[in-house]
Amino acid sequence: MKKSVPFLSLLVLACIMISCLACGLIMTKDPLYMDLTHCNEAPGKEFLFGTDTMGRDIFSMIWYGGRISLTIGFLATLLSTALAVLVGSVSGCAPARIDGILMRLTELILSVPPLLLTVFLQAVFGRANVYSLSVVIGLTGWMSMAKIVRTEVRQLKNTDYVLAAKCLGGGFFHVLFRHLAPNFFPSVLFMAVMNVRNAIVAESTLSFLGLGLPVEVVSWGSMLSLSENALFSRAWWTILIPGVFLVGTLLCLTNLGNYMRGNSNKRHSNLRGNE
Amino acid sequence: MWRKFLRRLYIIKILHSAVKFVLSVLVLSAFVFIISRLAPGDPLYAYYGERVEKMSVEEQEQARTRLGLDEPIPVQYVRWLQGAVRGDFGISYQYKADVKEVIAARIGNTLLLGGLGFLLIFALALLLGLFCAWREGQAADRMICRIGTVTSCIPEFWLSLLLLLVFAVWLGWLPGSGAYSVGEEGNAADRAAHLILPLAVVVLGHLWYYAFQVRNRLLEEVRADYVLLARMKGLSGKQVLYRHCLRGALPSYLCMMAVALPHILGGTYVVETVFSYPGIGTLAYESARYQDYNLLMVVSLLTGALVIFCNMLARTVSERIDPRMRMRTIADGGEVRDL
Repeated sequence: MKKSVPFLSLLVLACIMISCLACGLIMTKDPLYMDLTHCNEAPGKEFLFGTDTMGRDIFSMIWYGGRISLTIGFLATLLSTALAVLVGSVSGCAPARIDGILMRLTELILSVPPLLLTVFLQAVFGRANVYSLSVVIGLTGWMSMAKIVRTEVRQLKNTDYVLAAKCLGGGFFHVLFRHLAPNFFPSVLFMAVMNVRNAIVAESTLSFLGLGLPVEVVSWGSMLSLSENALFSRAWWTILIPGVFLVGTLLCLTNLGNYMRGNSNKRHSNLRGNE
Repeated sequence: MWRKFLRRLYIIKILHSAVKFVLSVLVLSAFVFIISRLAPGDPLYAYYGERVEKMSVEEQEQARTRLGLDEPIPVQYVRWLQGAVRGDFGISYQYKADVKEVIAARIGNTLLLGGLGFLLIFALALLLGLFCAWREGQAADRMICRIGTVTSCIPEFWLSLLLLLVFAVWLGWLPGSGAYSVGEEGNAADRAAHLILPLAVVVLGHLWYYAFQVRNRLLEEVRADYVLLARMKGLSGKQVLYRHCLRGALPSYLCMMAVALPHILGGTYVVETVFSYPGIGTLAYESARYQDYNLLMVVSLLTGALVIFCNMLARTVSERIDPRMRMRTIADGGEVRDL
């Protein structure tokens, strides 16, 4: 049973990403313009997805805001992956004492509730913008991946070809990039895709709680932060539509990640022999 | 004599873990303390509110001295530590009451929500995992896996919003915020009604992750040779699954759930905030937002200590049950990220 490539997920993801990148061509209105004469309008001909409580066109905001949500997802993942590979491989190659300290430190950071950690770090950076939020989310998302990289490196570093590379005078980074990285790449790739997902969730949750991006910066999370008003005025579209795009993107990323992990049970179950 | 020696060894082990625990909590407290002090923002605002702007510079200085905020960070930390050892965690700037009292008033609500959530997840994940493993590859299993993947992708806050929209706004069946209606504090039915939606979010948000782990673990177990032997001896597939495979999968499940306990118990921040449920989560959110240092310290130490303790517990238990236990899978067993 080989896992089939998740074509549908790839297609949907590609569509969303391309539309977000090319949002200038799709948008029917200015996403930042607050049309106070058309507040809280239900989806219709003029406003395809309706307008929010501040009179902005949701259809245009989806694509415009998606760009920011996805940017944060990728930037944060870039940072957390780099950190994880660095910490994991240093820890994996280092003598036991340093390895122990690094791993205790990692576990310690893991023991702080992630939401609190993000809020702390964001507070240090001051008012949130796209880049500071990416950095904060990236700084809080590397721990689990670092542990996995470490285990992989621990297993790999005693192999003959790594020893040979070291004997030939290869430095730490040479061995890391030329010999170790290609081997732990698959498991890191899976984690990286999941990290993109988690970063997008983190961004939207923080912005929703009012701790991340402010309402003026359009992202899927900050669009949902207006939902409290929407609940009162029963404007279901301001809650449902951004959420559907958010969940859809996350679902596609998850399917993609699961495909990359690619460990399906090949053996047959013994439970039902010939029933 | 040999036995006595062993017992002594065991005591040493316990002492060793206790020291490790205390050290970890100490480092954690220093970490939280320093970061929260480095953050810009003025704790005086938490204490005095808008009145700070009307105060003269001297008055502000006096207030700072009174609250002990004018000293260098290490001195403040040592002072805090001295108090904490004596059981004095200071006052909450925002509530102007002893931190212990503020937390004591709310911790019950969180324990109720998180505890019930944990029990439900514990039972349902096992049942769901068993069911899926039994129906592996059949339509029911594939369907549940699909639905599970989708639910695991829905952020908690959006699920809360969705349920609020449907059950509180459209249908009007359930109350949308708080832990009880005004004046109905002792009414159990009213409390239960307020608990349903937050509880549903907590359970749905975590359930599939654990159920899927149970399913996969059981699927590994089902492929072992002893299953073939048991089947050959005439046991039915169901008997083998319940009596033998489940037994093999249980230890790792217990460990996983030990790691999950603090995640679920303390991870109700978002849900509590959306439903304005008065618990530790809303407290943590408020204290972080309004620079209420003393409160923030205790809340994050409480959850942090619980996580560290449960992780150590899981490790010890798993090593006792099964020495071959691969720590890798358990140590990373929490969620990849659980906001």
